Amino acid sequence: MTETMFNVSPLGGQVYDGAISIADYTTRHRSGLRGAQARSLLIEAGWSVPAHPNEILQTEDRGFVMALSQREFWLLEPTRDALSISISTTAVDKDVYPLFCQSSHCWLVVTGELKSSMMAKLCGVDLSDNAFATGTVAQTQMALINCIIARHEMAGHDVFSLFVDHSLAEYALEVLLDARDEFV
Amino acid sequence: MTRIKTQYVGQWIDVTRSKQFTFDGTVVTGLHGDSVTSALLANDIWLQSRSFKYHRPRGPLTLCGQDANTLVQTPNTPNVLADRLEVEEDLRVSAQHYTGWLRFDLSRLLDWFGRFLPVGFYYKAFFKPSGSWRWWEPLVRSAAGLGVSNLSVSAPYNDKVYAFCDIAVVGGGPAGLNAALSAAEAGARVMLIEQEPYLGGSLSYHAFNGDMTATQLRRDELIQAVYEHQNIRVLVSATCNAWFSDHYLPVLTSGRLLKVRAKQTILATGSSEQHAVFRHNDLPGVMMCSALDRLIRLYGVVSKRPVVVLAGNDLAYQTAFSSQDAGAHVSAIVDLREHCDDPALAIHAENRGIPIYKHCAVFEASATTLGLELAKIVIHRLDQTDGIGEKVATIKCGILAMSVGFMPAYQLACQGGAVLNYDDETAQFSLQNLPAGMHIAGSVNSMFALDTVETDGQNAARAALRGLGMSVEADEPNVCHQRVNHPWPFVKHPDGREFVDFDEDLQIKDIVNTTRMGYRDIQLVKRFSTVGMGPSQGRHSALPTARLVAATTDRTVTETGVTTARPPLTPEPLGLLAGRRFHPIRRSPLHHRHVALGAHMMPAGVWQRPAFYGGTERRKSLIEAEVSAVRTRVGIIDVSTLGGIELRGPDAAEFMNRVYTFGFIKQPIGKTRYAVLTSEQGVVSDDGVAARLGENHYYVTATTSGVDQVYRDMLKWNAQWRLDLDIANVTSAFSAVNVAGPLSRKVIETAGCSVDLNAHDFPYLACKEAYVAGLPVRMMRVGFVGELGFELHAPSPLIGELWDQLMTAGEAHGIRPFGVEAQRLLRLEKGHLIVGQDTDGMTHPDEVALRWAVAQKKAFFVGNKSVDILSKHPLTRQLVGFELGTSSPQPKEGHLVIHDGNIVGSVTSCEYSPTMNKIIGLAYVHPSDSAVGSTIIIRTDNDIHVRPVVVTTPFYDPNNARQTL
Amino acid sequence: MKILTCPLNGPRNISEFVYGGQVKRMPDTATASDREWAAYVFYEETNIGVVLEWWLHSPSSYWFIAERHNATDEIIRTFPADELFTQRVDFSSPEAPL
Repeated sequence: MTETMFNVSPLGGQVYDGAISIADYTTRHRSGLRGAQARSLLIEAGWSVPAHPNEILQTEDRGFVMALSQREFWLLEPTRDALSISISTTAVDKDVYPLFCQSSHCWLVVTGELKSSMMAKLCGVDLSDNAFATGTVAQTQMALINCIIARHEMAGHDVFSLFVDHSLAEYALEVLLDARDEFV
Repeated sequence: MTRIKTQYVGQWIDVTRSKQFTFDGTVVTGLHGDSVTSALLANDIWLQSRSFKYHRPRGPLTLCGQDANTLVQTPNTPNVLADRLEVEEDLRVSAQHYTGWLRFDLSRLLDWFGRFLPVGFYYKAFFKPSGSWRWWEPLVRSAAGLGVSNLSVSAPYNDKVYAFCDIAVVGGGPAGLNAALSAAEAGARVMLIEQEPYLGGSLSYHAFNGDMTATQLRRDELIQAVYEHQNIRVLVSATCNAWFSDHYLPVLTSGRLLKVRAKQTILATGSSEQHAVFRHNDLPGVMMCSALDRLIRLYGVVSKRPVVVLAGNDLAYQTAFSSQDAGAHVSAIVDLREHCDDPALAIHAENRGIPIYKHCAVFEASATTLGLELAKIVIHRLDQTDGIGEKVATIKCGILAMSVGFMPAYQLACQGGAVLNYDDETAQFSLQNLPAGMHIAGSVNSMFALDTVETDGQNAARAALRGLGMSVEADEPNVCHQRVNHPWPFVKHPDGREFVDFDEDLQIKDIVNTTRMGYRDIQLVKRFSTVGMGPSQGRHSALPTARLVAATTDRTVTETGVTTARPPLTPEPLGLLAGRRFHPIRRSPLHHRHVALGAHMMPAGVWQRPAFYGGTERRKSLIEAEVSAVRTRVGIIDVSTLGGIELRGPDAAEFMNRVYTFGFIKQPIGKTRYAVLTSEQGVVSDDGVAARLGENHYYVTATTSGVDQVYRDMLKWNAQWRLDLDIANVTSAFSAVNVAGPLSRKVIETAGCSVDLNAHDFPYLACKEAYVAGLPVRMMRVGFVGELGFELHAPSPLIGELWDQLMTAGEAHGIRPFGVEAQRLLRLEKGHLIVGQDTDGMTHPDEVALRWAVAQKKAFFVGNKSVDILSKHPLTRQLVGFELGTSSPQPKEGHLVIHDGNIVGSVTSCEYSPTMNKIIGLAYVHPSDSAVGSTIIIRTDNDIHVRPVVVTTPFYDPNNARQTL
Repeated sequence: MKILTCPLNGPRNISEFVYGGQVKRMPDTATASDREWAAYVFYEETNIGVVLEWWLHSPSSYWFIAERHNATDEIIRTFPADELFTQRVDFSSPEAPL
């Protein structure tokens, strides 16, 4: 099946500026692979792949590989528009299956010095600097919903990338903005 | 009013800033830094509340929020601890729990009738004849109520936040300060939690070794080091209210609940000073030595009332001396012992002109004429066995300060499973069996001499660091020889009123009588007598109760034990527990389109779904119009909430075959099959449609509420079977609409479809990947609502565009969106069951005529053995369709089905069908009533029995001709 | 709140996990008696001691196994399921044509 145009987010692609900023990156490109051969496939394709699960690693000029397990990887490409989407989902290679992260999850990027303090109102994992270093990922819960939180650098900023279920994105943004109130 | 402010007296107050507030309508002037209680005492107002049961006058006891004697009401909050409530300009405080006036409480007569209110009175008096409690309750509640809730107050902003540390230190006294510093020095992240507004604990009010200057210098040194240390986070006015598993500590602060997660906990919680038990020991003016110390040292209040100190230890002497130094008149020390541990103290007292009554006890206290405050005490000598001997003296006094013993603040430790032991001979406590990672330090660990307290704090830090693997350093040897606990006698009086529990007005005889009634177990003693159930939660009553029970049942206090300590430690404001509340709501990508179309949204689990489109006042007609649109033209419904699971890989078909009841190995590519899941118990647990998109590729739907469980079960099975496939929950990745009705094919063709939709190329139950309106979709022909219909599944971000295109294309064909209500009715007309509505936790396939969907000859599927076993047994019920004329009362879901006078089942679905012009429904009936044409009995509202007839399903289009067009 | 250590995600609040029942060996459905089958389906080990349990880390949908003492509630060890389930499981008997 061929590809088609895609640039819609339930959050409208908005940016909420402030001491802590929250930006909707949902329409940025991302894809995923899962399977025993996924790692070697990515390395062959020239990606820098993290050594361990729950780590995120940047590949210069392309984006990030986020490892969610030994065999599951998400490719995040913040500079590339999600111009296309595919529903062709059969194996791309022997035991490597494409994932659906472009349409299953929304992507929010949180910046600002006090972002860990804000997240402490929503999340039971310690996301402070000394406990959650750059390059780490937490698959956890935020305000009672599942959430993947990755800490990495982006355009010179220390950021949290948050991935939440597409159907819960509006809820997630509401609680984030509410938690952010006291810091703005 | 004069207040004293020197370097070590009146530390918390600012004499230059006065604050006026009202107490029970009277204007009172306090100082900045005062608590309401200290300001009242500075104005010589000692009567601050009335007791719970007898309405006895009560005054401050501990001055640190540890007793119920100072509970007051503020305009918005009842039961505020006045000794913890800082005064503010224009604060309005009232006493609570009295009838008429605080000083002339009309209910005080209850005290005189006290003998008619024996222990367990409420249990015994109000439950006969049965039902009489309903009459008594309002009276009892009004007499016993504590404060008034202001229901019109708007909730203040409350919030919750997680906080993390390596070591949590509870208590900012000398032990806690040392523990925090030592741990932080070693590199641990420390959180120091102090209940009072300032760090320091007893260093702020007690002259250790009789030297206030040295004590306070040491305090300032420690506090400064703590605040300067970057590894220590200090929380003051913060209460660690519980210890939960793995060091999860709820910490109450103003407006914010901290959910602290520590790796180790050090409890430096201190100890509670205990009261002596004698007649009228509850009069305002009778207080703990530590309370008098606090009153002077922290608040600079030095009363003109003569002070008598009751000593069971050497600490009491320091109170006497420092009170005198501050200007108080100390008229006597009554010592329960023959001698001081430190003989110099007696000499010191003599030099100061304070007479000592050695080996004497207070026999009774008596009040001023109005009965509101302490006026004098009667002293008796103790005999050889500490029994009461002859009278020695009557001493006039306004304040009696007691120091007879301390009980460790054991609650948090015991919540974690620690056991409190007590040596009856030496009156010493010990806490044992602490949970892993919990350490105790300071007076909670029976350390009282300052050097031992400090070392104990450091040792606790060492132990915590060892627990964290940050140190291997051994403890410093540390033994405390100072004794502060005295096995003080209970001075029983012929006229009683020797209070064991001030909160609940319980006297010696109440506890003794409880044991005589057969309640030997301390837990039962508590429940029957209510001892320790009041706001102070046994901090002062637990030990005397345990000692009394032990004595009357010939056991030791360790054998008797104390009652179980459970969270919370102190009453929690409900607003703080509520905090900001999280209510996750899942929204379809089409949500805002539905709202714009006027949909009435309803919750479906955590999802919001359109019930119908239009105002609720026209609910019935709107639903009928939506149904009619589907039956006669075309309708469109958002089914994005449907679960979706993607199964890919060489073993996908094999896996399907094991998980679902039907056979799937031979399922043709491009076809769908109805897929039923049974649990291992053989119960129908979910259903959906399985579309085989490729040789190694299935896309299966599941119910909205069931998909998470189905997905988890699939993963769990394959963690055991290790088949070669990938299982993905794509519920949110794909959204879907169902276009249904005779004109549905035309609508999709108008929108533009990449494949031929005629019945030959794309027949009923076919599935295909295709493009509609240029958008990629997975298309299935399904028949849930019983008309020609297409379910279009598209990536969620595209579904909005697809909906818009279909609505535009459908305009000419009269397309109408329909909601969940119409869908439920449409499927009921087809007799399709909804798992979870028409099935329950016991339903197996035979009961709901799903045997056809169960493969008979498969080697295995989850639940096959149970389904086999169940089918060998005769059925006990069967789900059937029934119908009734429109003039009959309409049964509701849950109405019971009666057979031979017995309940045999219930109605699971029932609606008026506009298509059929009949009431139709599904119900579980007795198997002998399941044949078509049988009459069943349904008991509807108001016990009206209706007798519908069992009919074949589908009710509508029984040959399923319309959906296969 | 208790902490459970997920082999994939590390120590987390127990609220992130879903209990999945005890780890039990399923009898062969072809040969097991009805009674044996009922015991498998309905009975759990209740003697005091260490039990093996399935736990799911919900945010990552990761199943693993925990050794837990059912009286002290101490979790002795958690480990990936493939330590115990090392090879493919098959069920005999031919597929009926459908």
